[in-house]
Amino acid sequence: MMSSMNDVVKSLEGFNPFIEEIDEREVKVTVSPDRVIAVLETLKANGYSHLSLMTCVDWIDDNQLELVYILFSWKDGGKFIVSTRIDRNNPKFFTVKELWPVARFYERELHEFFGVEFEGNDDMRPLFLELWDEKPPLRKDFDPRDYSRKKFPDRKYEKDVIKEAKIFRGEING
Amino acid sequence: MKERTIWEQIADSFRSRSIWMLHYCTGCGAMELPPTMTSRFDMERFGVAPMATPRQADILLITGYLNTKTLRRVIYTYEQMADPKYVIGFGSCTINGGIYFDSYSTINRLDYYVPVDVYIAGCMPRPEAILEAFNYLMEKIRKGEADGWKRYRENYEWYKQNQIRSLGEVYVHDEFHE
Repeated sequence: MMSSMNDVVKSLEGFNPFIEEIDEREVKVTVSPDRVIAVLETLKANGYSHLSLMTCVDWIDDNQLELVYILFSWKDGGKFIVSTRIDRNNPKFFTVKELWPVARFYERELHEFFGVEFEGNDDMRPLFLELWDEKPPLRKDFDPRDYSRKKFPDRKYEKDVIKEAKIFRGEING
Repeated sequence: MKERTIWEQIADSFRSRSIWMLHYCTGCGAMELPPTMTSRFDMERFGVAPMATPRQADILLITGYLNTKTLRRVIYTYEQMADPKYVIGFGSCTINGGIYFDSYSTINRLDYYVPVDVYIAGCMPRPEAILEAFNYLMEKIRKGEADGWKRYRENYEWYKQNQIRSLGEVYVHDEFHE
């Protein structure tokens, strides 16, 4: 990791993080949920002021949802990936819309696709899906094929064995 | 099919030579249209030109996959177009869903919601295939076989029922415009 990132990592030591070096310019910081906001504030104060992405990963075997914040610095091009795991059955977290106003839309998206509730963000109208009536679609226990079969009828194909055999023998062009 | 009068045959012959295409792109198939329009393949030599509004256009190209959100807009657009109107389904996604066959938001067959006159197979169809489809559509119009707009009018209840089954409601609710 770059020396400038090293200094930032040192300032995070008080939060008891698990540091993982991915790349020369990428560091993953895993912390417990109650410390995430403080870590994000520290990183923002240290120049990592751009929230590139906020997303979620469904770890269905661990019964956990992983929230991921990717912060980017315009000074040295470094990236911090701040990650935390919350309970899957009761997915509640705190909003970061005071730190980054753009997070409002990321939070709406996560609420829509993973069902995560963000305390402090009241605007949870659907953003991409219209008239959605099932469980959040990007959760691993949602079966998209089943849903597709139920809602969007398929074209039926009939198998013509004789024609296929003729193509196989080279009598007609397939 | 009803026998056409001589005037209808003449009108169809003229229609087939100046079909204007609505400049509306839904999926990745839109990428094949710039080379088709511009000087190398030049679709305007067949009388096919892009047009800005649905009310002035004759053909609607569904270029690629359609998700439920776009399908609502496509149905709006199709119903705004003046008769006679023709639809070309473009790429394998409109035929049977293509690689999005099991997606939770992408429809699997287009002719279930709006009548389709010509399908182009392939992912992606090359500009040659698009020109071939235009020529085939022109021939169908000349013969009076491209009657999708009549089918839509006659089987309106069936199409509406399919649309409502997949979409819930066709009416567009848009938070930015309400």
